[in-house]
Amino acid sequence: MDDKIDGNATRKETHCHESPTIYIPPLNFAPIVNSSQDIIYRSGFPMPLNYPYLLNTLNLKTIIYLGDKVDLLPQYTEFIEKGEYQFHHLLMNSTTDKNIQELMEEMLELVLDKRNYPILIHSNKGKHRIGVAAGIIRKILQGWSITGIYQEYGIFTGNVKGEMDLEFINSFCVRNPLKVDPKFLPSFINFET
Amino acid sequence: MTTKQIHSPQTSILNDPFKEQQHHEQEQEAVNRKEEQLVHIIPSTEKIVPPLNFCPVERYLYRSGQPSPVNFPFLSSLNLRTIIWLNNEDPQDSLLEFCDYNDIFLQFAAINPDGGEDDNPWDGLNEKSISNALKTLVNKENYPLLVCCGMGRHRTGTVIGCLRRIMKWNLASCSEEYRRFTGSRGGRILVELLIEGFDTSKIEINEATAPEFMLNALR
Repeated sequence: MDDKIDGNATRKETHCHESPTIYIPPLNFAPIVNSSQDIIYRSGFPMPLNYPYLLNTLNLKTIIYLGDKVDLLPQYTEFIEKGEYQFHHLLMNSTTDKNIQELMEEMLELVLDKRNYPILIHSNKGKHRIGVAAGIIRKILQGWSITGIYQEYGIFTGNVKGEMDLEFINSFCVRNPLKVDPKFLPSFINFET
Repeated sequence: MTTKQIHSPQTSILNDPFKEQQHHEQEQEAVNRKEEQLVHIIPSTEKIVPPLNFCPVERYLYRSGQPSPVNFPFLSSLNLRTIIWLNNEDPQDSLLEFCDYNDIFLQFAAINPDGGEDDNPWDGLNEKSISNALKTLVNKENYPLLVCCGMGRHRTGTVIGCLRRIMKWNLASCSEEYRRFTGSRGGRILVELLIEGFDTSKIEINEATAPEFMLNALR
């Protein structure tokens, strides 16, 4: 057993030597929608050590931040400029916010425009706020069953907290007509108008 | 159910014909850009049910536990070409029939035909079965692709973890992704050892046939 581990370790070193770059994706990084050319990713707050991964491998066009931090890191602003990303900050504390309905509808409008893709939606830890956004995309745009949505929410939160969020997703519906251009709807959608 | 937004006509008076044309062009451009409509969204009444522990991994690449008949409408929507099955035992008959009917290639990556009596269903994956699966994963002709095992936790996690290592992910990030799917009992140290110890140079990446996300990561 010891021999085997030693052997592997030396092999790994040589491998690292050949290609020194190691990528560190942001916390809780994963695609939400990946079944066509139009991709939405989810993650926690991108930190400087994650920038090479985001800049080099994803070709992102839009970043949506769902969160409460108003003062963003100067490095983060630089990163947004360097990547020439369209940045949208949807100021959100939790699902008990007064304007949560409007926020979620705004998020859906951004997601319903093909020209914004590829999109990264992130919150702070990549768990609860983004979990709500993902759940709403699943429910409203893709027609997933609530059980599937709960399970996905649980995978990223480790089933810790979130009863309020799940209740919110369960009762969420689009109340106002959304401002979208039918010519530029992404291809994964499964709903009627 | 759609209501067109009303554009109020511009009432500016323009004498210069060139300017007028320019103005007209600008207006036309504005119309092209802003053909937004107010759309009421009515969610589909037929609910689709994803398989246990389902999650997208990369473009056209998915992971999950063993799909059952309730998940088949959802699976059909993914237009899968390949399913990699990672258990030593055969999956349910219904899944075999589903693959047959939809022309999906089902790869039994973990079943070792030469294993004989030494091949036990409770054995984990080994380097050979991981390589089997990864060779399929690095060829874009096999996509859209689903990697699955019984629960979509450890075996699937091992293969995806090794794929991430090939994509030059930091080991901690591979482990974080693996543990997300392991439920309340947490990750297994043996799986993480397999991921850490996997010799990524064993998998040949061919630029002509590798999927785009792989090439982006290796660029």
